[in-house]
Amino acid sequence: MLKLTLTGLIALTIAHGILAPESEAVSEGSNLTLTIEGVETLEGKVMIALFNSEAGYDGGDLYEAVQVRAYDHQVQYQFSHLDPGQYALKIFHDVDGDGELDTNLMGIPSEPVVFSNNAPMRFGPASWNDAQFEIVAGENTHSVRF
Amino acid sequence: MKLSRREALHGMMAMGAMAGLTRASWGQSQTGDPVWQAFEAAKRDHPEALGLSTQPSAGRAGQARLIEGRWPEDVQGVLFRNGPGCFDRDHWRYRHWFDGDGFIQRWQVGPQGVEHKGVFVQTQKWQEEEAAGRFLRPSFGSLPPGDLGLGSTTDMNVANTSVMMAGSQLWALWEGGAPWALDPHTLSTQGEVNLGEGLGGVPFSAHPKIDPKTGDIWNFGQDPMGARLILWRLGADGAVKSVRILEGVPAGMIHDFMITERYLVFIIGGPWMSDLRLPFLESFAGDQSRPMRAIRVDKNDLSDRKDWDLPPGCVFHFGGAWEEGDGAIVCDAALYKDAGFVLGGAYDLMRGDFSGARNSHSCLTRIELRPQGRVDLSAYEDCAFEFPQIDPRCVGQKRRYSWGVAQIDLDRALSGGLARRDLETGALALLDMGAERIMEEPLFIPKGAGEGEGYLIATALNTKTQVSELHLFDAQALGQGPIAISALDYATSLGFHGTWQDS
Repeated sequence: MLKLTLTGLIALTIAHGILAPESEAVSEGSNLTLTIEGVETLEGKVMIALFNSEAGYDGGDLYEAVQVRAYDHQVQYQFSHLDPGQYALKIFHDVDGDGELDTNLMGIPSEPVVFSNNAPMRFGPASWNDAQFEIVAGENTHSVRF
Repeated sequence: MKLSRREALHGMMAMGAMAGLTRASWGQSQTGDPVWQAFEAAKRDHPEALGLSTQPSAGRAGQARLIEGRWPEDVQGVLFRNGPGCFDRDHWRYRHWFDGDGFIQRWQVGPQGVEHKGVFVQTQKWQEEEAAGRFLRPSFGSLPPGDLGLGSTTDMNVANTSVMMAGSQLWALWEGGAPWALDPHTLSTQGEVNLGEGLGGVPFSAHPKIDPKTGDIWNFGQDPMGARLILWRLGADGAVKSVRILEGVPAGMIHDFMITERYLVFIIGGPWMSDLRLPFLESFAGDQSRPMRAIRVDKNDLSDRKDWDLPPGCVFHFGGAWEEGDGAIVCDAALYKDAGFVLGGAYDLMRGDFSGARNSHSCLTRIELRPQGRVDLSAYEDCAFEFPQIDPRCVGQKRRYSWGVAQIDLDRALSGGLARRDLETGALALLDMGAERIMEEPLFIPKGAGEGEGYLIATALNTKTQVSELHLFDAQALGQGPIAISALDYATSLGFHGTWQDS
């Protein structure tokens, strides 16, 4: 497996949702450009966790975690140097910036949450089966909406 | 750009098209939704179906015409009622009666006569689904095709069960989430009520109890996954005075509860939660051997608690409870022997089956919870009785009477009479309003000074004339029949619970 190298906390804002020109693409491994829409307030950070296994997704180790400032109602982030394979994302908007997913008395999130594929929640996080998606060699895009 | 099959699939998934695929394949079905079709077919022969039909999105408004008697001058005010009013979208019908979106009905009685207005609570769910033209969210008992899942209780909150006044707001209540606030005059929706930090979306049930001495509003919310209750105490203005957690509450059905001077009293029956799944009701099973549980806790000290086991059964509604001098708690409940209605009959209605074949019947039952642990039950088996109501001046106090809907014809799921039960003598006053009328929950309007002095006000669906009606009775002379009946020139959906506000 390629060692993961991230481009850092650089969020790529690409006009009109068109991908970056190929010359800017990283040549090694796969890249994933993630677009998160429906960011309601421009406060706090969008917290993104990427998983590359069901075991990791279901409470084990995450593959990579990043924070992106909620700079716009649509934010983007590019993961680079990924191995092709099955992945899933858990994302929440840390509106108050305390680094935690706030919940109500019942333990139900009170900050926006979304999973890859916009996979449905059913009294808990979306399942790996619903949230997993494939990353192929080269450029990949994925969009979710809070 | 040419996409590989794999890329194309990836792209479709990213656009959330899986839900669309499911729906597309549904739409191509030759047979359509069998529940929707069965109900449409049943409509032809069953005018009761009017009460379970989807109301116009824009609501209803009309003047009711006096058809019998006259309205006394001392009855002026508004009856607010809530109940499910949207059952199908895009030719797909909910499976369970309790799924439908909340439709608030406002009956104003005054010098101008009787005016009716009905509107949907503009919940987040209702607005999203109205825009989409189809159901999007799992509901209490149904899983619509291509559903989008649930991220919060707000996603599935239909605000369809009851109403209460909180200060200047009318709250539409459900039992799986927060209240929704409306303007009581216009019925315009003001939004989901957030009772405080960390309390957004937390369940606030549909049978709050108002302490007649302090005006405080007591309520609970059930967290079945956590086997616990949230206990709410609000001022009359709707502001939270306290929120506490009662742990160790079996995860059965808890729709209503009771207060006494000193205690909160819960009786929990079937169906019982087994495995959490969607639709939510399918998490529950009717275990006919499991005892019901009664719990009383001190309002001010939850550690002062006593539990009793009762015979197996099912209960939605209570008349009320009080304390006896020897420490016993006495209460009355509309008890079923099993959960046949919630797990059977309420599905059958949605298919247009009005036989009630899977229902058991509730009997008003006097229950004495003795301090040494004994429980005495005596059921009044001479009348099938639901929607018990009491004189609101007697909430939490020793009292004599309960009024309610009497089921006259046990071979029909919905049938109509009214009854008053004397809890001291057992005497029954019964009024049969005829096979053509489906009577709904009667509410007590206090007059005079003593318990039971006042009126009963109740809505009804007249299946013969196919219109909805508003009825008024003398609460102490049910047998004399209605004092007044006013009828609309249309039929609206049946409801569950309401509240009366004097003008």
